Amino acid sequence: MNTTNLALNLKKIEELYPENPIEFFRDKKLCLFKACLEKYFPGVRYGIEDFLIDLGLNILTCKNQSCCSGTFFQRNLITRAQFGAINERNLSEINNIADILLFSCNGCYNSLIRGREFLNTPDVRNKAQDILNQLKNKIKESNTNNYPGKFEIIEDLKLKLVHDLDFFYLIRNTVVNALKYDLKNMKVAVHYGCHYLNLSRDKDSVDEYIKPKTKLEDLVTLFGGNPVDYQERESCCGWGASQVVIHPKEALKITYNKLKSAENVGADFMVTPCPTCLYTLSKPEYREKMQKWYGEKLDIPTIHLNELIAILRGCEEERCITLRRKTPRIEEIFEIITQ
Amino acid sequence: MDDSSNSECNWDFYEELVDDVEENKNIIQCISCGKCVGDCPASKVSNFNVRKVIAKVLRGDKSVLKDSDIWYCYLCERCKRVCPKDNINIPLLIINLRNESFKKGYGPKYNDLRKYVEMSERFLKTGVVLDEPLGEELPAERIEELNEICNFARIKYVFKASKTNKKSKKKIEK
Repeated sequence: MNTTNLALNLKKIEELYPENPIEFFRDKKLCLFKACLEKYFPGVRYGIEDFLIDLGLNILTCKNQSCCSGTFFQRNLITRAQFGAINERNLSEINNIADILLFSCNGCYNSLIRGREFLNTPDVRNKAQDILNQLKNKIKESNTNNYPGKFEIIEDLKLKLVHDLDFFYLIRNTVVNALKYDLKNMKVAVHYGCHYLNLSRDKDSVDEYIKPKTKLEDLVTLFGGNPVDYQERESCCGWGASQVVIHPKEALKITYNKLKSAENVGADFMVTPCPTCLYTLSKPEYREKMQKWYGEKLDIPTIHLNELIAILRGCEEERCITLRRKTPRIEEIFEIITQ
Repeated sequence: MDDSSNSECNWDFYEELVDDVEENKNIIQCISCGKCVGDCPASKVSNFNVRKVIAKVLRGDKSVLKDSDIWYCYLCERCKRVCPKDNINIPLLIINLRNESFKKGYGPKYNDLRKYVEMSERFLKTGVVLDEPLGEELPAERIEELNEICNFARIKYVFKASKTNKKSKKKIEK
């Protein structure tokens, strides 16, 4: 069973289309995985959706997709087999309608890759298939919109997974050509997020494992910004599988150290490819708590990569940085970029 | 100070954990280099220490299940990345230990998981974690599928616990 090769082979696409990798996607159906936190940050979805539609690509979302359920697995509320079954249900639904699945959230990306990896363990795989079989028997009579093989673990998925950051980096020349504004040499701190930085599949290749990840810095440079090095670059945002909810004082110390370290080197803002990290780094209530507990008010704005690209493309403020959950001072950054 | 001298070594605990999650067998390769601890966000702000957790498991010391330390892990997978050994899956071991801790009644009480009661409820009712998804809602029959998959899982108990709590709260208000 092909469980480890779910990720889109970016190197192969670069070899096939060295000049213009976007051509690889022209005849493909691209599905955007719906991350729960896009509710607070709709610009994360619109940022990529609007752009890809403008490029003339075939974009869709899957109405039958549920939450990735990673948060429940991490808190011991569902078993590995149940997590695997929820995962297979989502993969099978999306595999039925799309060729490529894009992720705006590190958590969802890690969940789908990990859920599939769990099936390498025969016991987990058998239990997950048992759960799906029960589902099949139960749902059989209901005469709903099912298709053949819906409740089977698919041996070789045609569907390939790619993180938005990897996707944008792959088509970086197309992105740069679509920008109306640049970053005007602003100092930018990058935050990758643990579940992008620490992907264990990197261990399969010594090269991938050893070399530092620099795609965000490279994009910031291409966008006319100045990526700054800071001590806590690789540290966690503080979310830590809900540690910020369970042990807020400890978790927010990590968040504080991260933001403070970026402010210390004069960063104008921080960019991340993960809405969960963005939520933790920007939530006004958390900023207030950090001030109360650690004595200093931190103002550094934070933004998701997809939102940043939307601003740089000249999209309306309402659409790219939502009013529903605005990070401190982000209007100032918006003003500077769009002057 | 390490209290290893106070406990006898036995493999029962290790074997139980391997029985439950096969990948746990790899922790025997641990060379106690401490790279996992040096890079761990939780170790910077709490007493959570992966090296000690593994050492306790390997000498059969079940007190690790009672320690609050294991509930401080960030599941960031940094340890798994920096570990010089190939297949030691520390985050999975921690999830497994938390599971055992739950079973024995040492884990956090459902009341401590209030946020998760709300999230679980929403997931089982709507298929998503936040109440108002962006765009279309999941069709009812798909939500039924998720509920079926989650049968007998803790996610259903916290959901039920929340209902009971609400009822008793209403009674008190009356």
